[in-house]
Amino acid sequence: MTAAEHHPALPAGLRDRVLAATLRVRAVGRPEPAAPEISPAQAFSRAADAFYGMLGILQAADWRRPALRELDVQGLVGHLTGVEEDVHRGLQGDPDVAQVSHVGSTQAAADRQSGRPPAQTRAEWRRAVDGTLALVHADRDPGDEVAMHGMRLPLGMLLVVRAFELWIHDNDIRHAVGLPPSVPDPSTLSLMTQAAAQLLPHAAARSGLREPASVHLVLTGPGGGTWDIPIGQSPAAPDPNAIVIVTDALGFCRLVANRATPGSLDLHITGDPDCAAMVLAAASTLALD
Amino acid sequence: MLATCSPVDDLIPGPSGIRSDTDALLAARLAAGDHAALTEVFDRLAPAVYGVALRVLGRHATAQDIVQDVFVELWSHPGRYDPGAGSLRGYLTMQARHRAVDLVRSEVRRAARQERSSRLEPRQPDPAPHERVMASEAAAAVRAAIETLPESQRRIVELAYFRGLTCREAATAAGIPEGTAKSRLRLALARLGTVLDRQLLESS
Repeated sequence: MTAAEHHPALPAGLRDRVLAATLRVRAVGRPEPAAPEISPAQAFSRAADAFYGMLGILQAADWRRPALRELDVQGLVGHLTGVEEDVHRGLQGDPDVAQVSHVGSTQAAADRQSGRPPAQTRAEWRRAVDGTLALVHADRDPGDEVAMHGMRLPLGMLLVVRAFELWIHDNDIRHAVGLPPSVPDPSTLSLMTQAAAQLLPHAAARSGLREPASVHLVLTGPGGGTWDIPIGQSPAAPDPNAIVIVTDALGFCRLVANRATPGSLDLHITGDPDCAAMVLAAASTLALD
Repeated sequence: MLATCSPVDDLIPGPSGIRSDTDALLAARLAAGDHAALTEVFDRLAPAVYGVALRVLGRHATAQDIVQDVFVELWSHPGRYDPGAGSLRGYLTMQARHRAVDLVRSEVRRAARQERSSRLEPRQPDPAPHERVMASEAAAAVRAAIETLPESQRRIVELAYFRGLTCREAATAAGIPEGTAKSRLRLALARLGTVLDRQLLESS
């Protein structure tokens, strides 16, 4: 016996009526429950506090452990101090910082940590972060564009990218010294996923994805949401032929940070698998090391 | 590993986590604000939800309202569905049954109140045929539940609801004090609610 024999046919118009009614109570894309909203500056501040707290529990030997590229933990913290110094320059409109390399420009700050007491490195980084926050809070418009390290981003977006970077390097250090990984709070994670979704078309274009396509991105769990993302010249609207990518928000953020591969994620994809693979590969190019 | 092109029911899973349970994946998508997931759920399960509501109520218009209420509730509060507790189909049809039975129950009470008050008012025109059908279907649903009550409680419910007596008149007819009649009526209504709820749970 088929389902049709069990159940009466739906009256004409009921489907449209019900789906329209649902949209009146909750907007498309909005997660439920929604994380409390915070500002990009708050997200950066929280990520910085978490990073500072993590540094505070490291043992002396931990600071010498290899962490990322050729940097040990202390050198990585120095790299982040260098990034903050470049952010200061960017916020003050220094054009020289606009096109410098993220790694090359901060190498001197990483190198100068060698032989220093870890507490000095930690304190120097904290002062640099506080300097960033002071500049941000000095009547800055979150929409003001800041150019640094080959990016030109609104200040709000830059701060979320920086929160992202701090969280990722927090976990690089945790991994290096054997601490369990950390997870951003849902409010911060929500800003990160929004930023990743917003930047995905640029990453796709930079990766050579020129053919118009629509991506229906569904990020599940805390900090998640749903976005219809145009790739190439595709309009930003729901598309019945869109590539549907469903995965969890945290895993996607790790992918965007180039700390996870598509194969390591819980991925559910509908649509052109080759195009989906290229979009995911493009997402991982958003990472800043 | 990347999954391939497929409808949601046949999604090829990733290596771990929510992959093995389509309902869990749909629930996660609904929580993420994926309206396409709601559309999928509607297309798959709305006929069952509508069928349940129609069987209890016997009226197409009210059954459609129940369908709308159930899906608006799912979209508003997707977290109230727990994939670990059962299937999405079972959850939605139970929601429909709860709402439909509640509607029947309130209609029977309203009908009983109207019947009692009508004895004090001039006679109204006879109800239309479809209204008589509605009333009889609703009454039948509750009548079946009343049959499960203890004799002492069933007697007082029949006197108060089906013969339209006041509580005092029902007490006199039953040969018990009015306070006892009220107490039995309260117990009977509470038990009636429980019985109806259990019936719908079992049929789900």
